Amino acid sequence: MESTIPRNEIPAIIDVSFEDLMRDPYPIYKRAQALGPVVRIEAANLLLVTRFEDIVAIERDPATFSSDNPESNVVKLFGPNLMRKDGEAHQRERKAIEPTVRPGTATRCWGPALEGIVDEVISAFERDGEADLFDALAAPISGRALAAIVGFEDVSWQTIAAWSQGMMDGAGNYSGDPKLTARALEVSREIEEAVDRNCPRLLDAPDESLLSSMLQSGLSTKEIYGNTKVAVGGGYNEPRDAILSLIYGLLLNPDQKEKVLANPALWQPAFEEAVRWISPIGMYPRLLTRDVDLGGHILPKGTQIGLSVAAANHEEPRFEAPQEYNAFRSKTPHLAFGSGPHFCAGTWVARIMVTKVVAPQVFARLANLRLKNPDLVTVRGWVFRGPTSLPVVWDV
Amino acid sequence: MITIKFIQPDGSEKLVSAMNGRSLMEAAQGAGVVGIVAECGGSAACATCHVVLPQEVFDRLGAPEEHEEDMLDFADAPRQTCSRLSCQVRVTPDMDGIIVRVPTA
Repeated sequence: MESTIPRNEIPAIIDVSFEDLMRDPYPIYKRAQALGPVVRIEAANLLLVTRFEDIVAIERDPATFSSDNPESNVVKLFGPNLMRKDGEAHQRERKAIEPTVRPGTATRCWGPALEGIVDEVISAFERDGEADLFDALAAPISGRALAAIVGFEDVSWQTIAAWSQGMMDGAGNYSGDPKLTARALEVSREIEEAVDRNCPRLLDAPDESLLSSMLQSGLSTKEIYGNTKVAVGGGYNEPRDAILSLIYGLLLNPDQKEKVLANPALWQPAFEEAVRWISPIGMYPRLLTRDVDLGGHILPKGTQIGLSVAAANHEEPRFEAPQEYNAFRSKTPHLAFGSGPHFCAGTWVARIMVTKVVAPQVFARLANLRLKNPDLVTVRGWVFRGPTSLPVVWDV
Repeated sequence: MITIKFIQPDGSEKLVSAMNGRSLMEAAQGAGVVGIVAECGGSAACATCHVVLPQEVFDRLGAPEEHEEDMLDFADAPRQTCSRLSCQVRVTPDMDGIIVRVPTA
């Protein structure tokens, strides 16, 4: 498969299936990193950039590697949004949401709000002695936190979860399945209706929520719709998966867990390691605005490439034994939150909520928390990846 | 060309040529100054380009914006009186010869 490659022919990996990618993409990424700066993954029909320094360099040059792709499913189904804009248009909308996602706001406002949510969620199952933390903990906490941060007073976490799923299915619907398209458009409408219902209240009484910040900064209704959809698509799954990966990593490594529990300052590196280890967003696209030479391969203008931050976060020797969770590895920047102008806007909210509230409370409330059976844990996905089932037991 | 000296916590120094009108972060990063990671590429979103300016330069620049103010409180190294995010500081000719401290190695 990886034989001698003629000059300027992009190496390809053709012997893996889509299911292989979903189950465990990391061995495939390792092969891709050895093959060259850009590799065609046939099962995904995508040119993938997998090396750390290449991704950082690409993200420093948004004029060449654009986020703006009017042909993408996301833009076609959900309308324009800040994640798919560059330059000043992007900056303007990004500035509009800053007051909501600043670390100070997260500490002052979202942390305390989450204390109550986490208490209620854990109280509902803490006497059971066992649970799957995906359904019992991470999904409701993440969904309720997102509803609060967006400013959706009347939207349940189940609705947030269903919207997020509908959006992901629509965005990944490359075969054009009409049912998935219809569902995505329905979700799109429902989110717009929720925006319409909640905005009048926030115009009368502005607060720290995302809707309120966008209203205060004068974004148009269309811009508010688009960015609220991005928040739903990117603000539910990712913290959910990060919470689960952090708990999973520590439960697999009781010695590390003990050290972290003994020193709350260690929640921060433990969290960063969790999102490096299993990056919730593993890959995102960029569009070439001109012909580009990537390590000797000329890619024509208009080519779409995928930046695999999941691969970069497992690059050796930058990360030693990258497949292992190690909260005590030497401090090395990772790309789980991306890099460059589109660096995840929700980074600080996620950091503060998970490390100051969710993770400490989980381990404080569920005594002697441990995996029910390591073989029962499932982790899946490559564009989006995280534990899909985390059965645990504790002492009651 | 404007020359700026960056000093690390261990005392090691690097002279960097900076371009008028670009950010201090871009100058530092172009020269590979340790401790200027700048994950977000200048969006004031990551707090990984923290520097400490000379008092007179800090005063001349005026107060940072609210967002930068907030972000500085969460930088890795503790905030100091003349702390700024270097991505938010524009290089000007009167900065020629100044000494900038990098608080995080």
